[in-house]
Amino acid sequence: MTASTLIRNSMDASQRMNRRHFLKQAGAVAAWSAVSSVPFAASASAGDQVVLTILHTNDVHSRIEPFPMDGSRNQGLGGVARRAALVRRIRSEQRNVLLLDAGDTVQGTPYFNLFGGKVELELMSKMGYDACTLGNHEFDNGLDGLAQMLGYATFPFLTANYDFSDTLLKGKTRDYAIFRKQGIRIGVFGLGIELDGLVDPVRCRGVRYLDPIATANELAAQLRHDLRCDLIVCLSHLGYQYQSDKISDRVLAANTRNVDLIIGGHTHTFMPEPESIRNLDGRETIVNQVGFGGIYLGRLDYVFERQSGKKALAGAYRYDVSTPMAAVVG
Amino acid sequence: MKYFTSPRFFVLLCLTVGLANASCNRHFVLRKGGMYTRFPMDSTITDDPAFVRLYAPYKQQLDAEMNRVVGRTAVALTKPGNVPETLLGNFFADALLTEGRKLHPEAEFSFGTKGGLRTELMQGDITVGHLFELMPFENELVVLELSGASVLQLAQFAASTGGQPMAGMRLHIANGHAADIRIGGAPLDTARTYTLVTYDYLANGGDNSRGLENPVNRINLGKKVREALIDYVSGLSHDGQHINTKLDGRITTDE
Repeated sequence: MTASTLIRNSMDASQRMNRRHFLKQAGAVAAWSAVSSVPFAASASAGDQVVLTILHTNDVHSRIEPFPMDGSRNQGLGGVARRAALVRRIRSEQRNVLLLDAGDTVQGTPYFNLFGGKVELELMSKMGYDACTLGNHEFDNGLDGLAQMLGYATFPFLTANYDFSDTLLKGKTRDYAIFRKQGIRIGVFGLGIELDGLVDPVRCRGVRYLDPIATANELAAQLRHDLRCDLIVCLSHLGYQYQSDKISDRVLAANTRNVDLIIGGHTHTFMPEPESIRNLDGRETIVNQVGFGGIYLGRLDYVFERQSGKKALAGAYRYDVSTPMAAVVG
Repeated sequence: MKYFTSPRFFVLLCLTVGLANASCNRHFVLRKGGMYTRFPMDSTITDDPAFVRLYAPYKQQLDAEMNRVVGRTAVALTKPGNVPETLLGNFFADALLTEGRKLHPEAEFSFGTKGGLRTELMQGDITVGHLFELMPFENELVVLELSGASVLQLAQFAASTGGQPMAGMRLHIANGHAADIRIGGAPLDTARTYTLVTYDYLANGGDNSRGLENPVNRINLGKKVREALIDYVSGLSHDGQHINTKLDGRITTDE
């Protein structure tokens, strides 16, 4: 395969893709109107604008190879080697890329049954995933199986509402991580689904489940105000929505503050485009999910504007001061 | 892991940084008009060959395991939809009971649902891959001690759904109702309890089953149904036998 083949093929793919705006209302600054073509880039005074590209998957379910050509609905779709090629191309075009996953990386093909998550997580690590959250199926081999799986990942597993302190997973996951891209601070945290009824109690013994809404509000406020994040992303395995009053991404979005983006999973929902939901402050929270099995890769391009005047200088100063941390958190 | 640092270190650094910039709130503002793109992962995207190389050894091992022959069936194990008792259902329930008894010898009968059997097995060699296709789920064997009344409910569920895989239990379906229910050859005695082998999915209420929801006792055997199937087939093969499941009239019907 040559580089040009890859790009031409990817361009073919991009022509069939949906490209849509997703932020109707954003920060307090005047509207940014230009819509660029691929690659996505800021117009106007580029020095004042920073583009952040968030790539995401969910519920890949051990789909290492594409779905088999057996006449089924998804035959020939997905595959980790394709996703790797596309991610690499996007990284070559965009300076600030985050690659995230919303859980259930495993279970669904014999790769998991035979190798216990090693293949999935090693390939995700190689692809440069920045963070992932825990789905219910990450518990399928019990807490010791999960602990072993985490060892194959070079990226953090973020989950804030499972209390593992009485289990062998204590200290092996994190509530959140902060990523820095050209001075932008992106806070990412994770929320998992209630395991009762989904996971055999034997396989999650000692795990305490914490209320996702209270957890999200507390953590998002901390990320916004104390840790001064410019964008706050929740990796959620709660599910898009339910007939019952069960907590979902839509319920979460409407009942929280400070969360800018919820990247969801669990319900295998093929959303044609991100959904905008008013949060408790009347601001926009974006919810998105890309089905399952690695059939799609989602891409959200955010544009930030550096504030002018003294604050911008202060920002530059702050960037320099915290460089050692940037090295630590990527 | 390079991303990890202690939360305390984080807070300390941020506090220090924050104090140095006490006058400023946020220095980046999110602009309106972000762009969303959904990329279909289809054959127009060429594989990254490095990734294919990375998983190739696993794929090779996996294919070898899936192609491993564990036994042989002398008859095609099918599940036609219009009959109460099928060869595939009998094979599956017999395997549950045989393997369940190895772990819990008191087990008297077994029960599954035909919807959980995802493929049929052709006459000839049975590979691990075939049994993965038959039972792709990670369901595990469960032993339930059930009251006679619960067993009656379970039998009614089986009858009302046109028959379900069972072993050690026999019944007759008359106008959609279970009659002449026998466990281990003896008529159902609602005054005593019975020991059933099934799997967690059903024991937890899956497939809208009835009769399993209030067991007197439950024991999770910690063995996957698929592993039980593999052991059952390879056990018979080891003894020089082939699978030769018969329709033995364990479920009969008027119709």
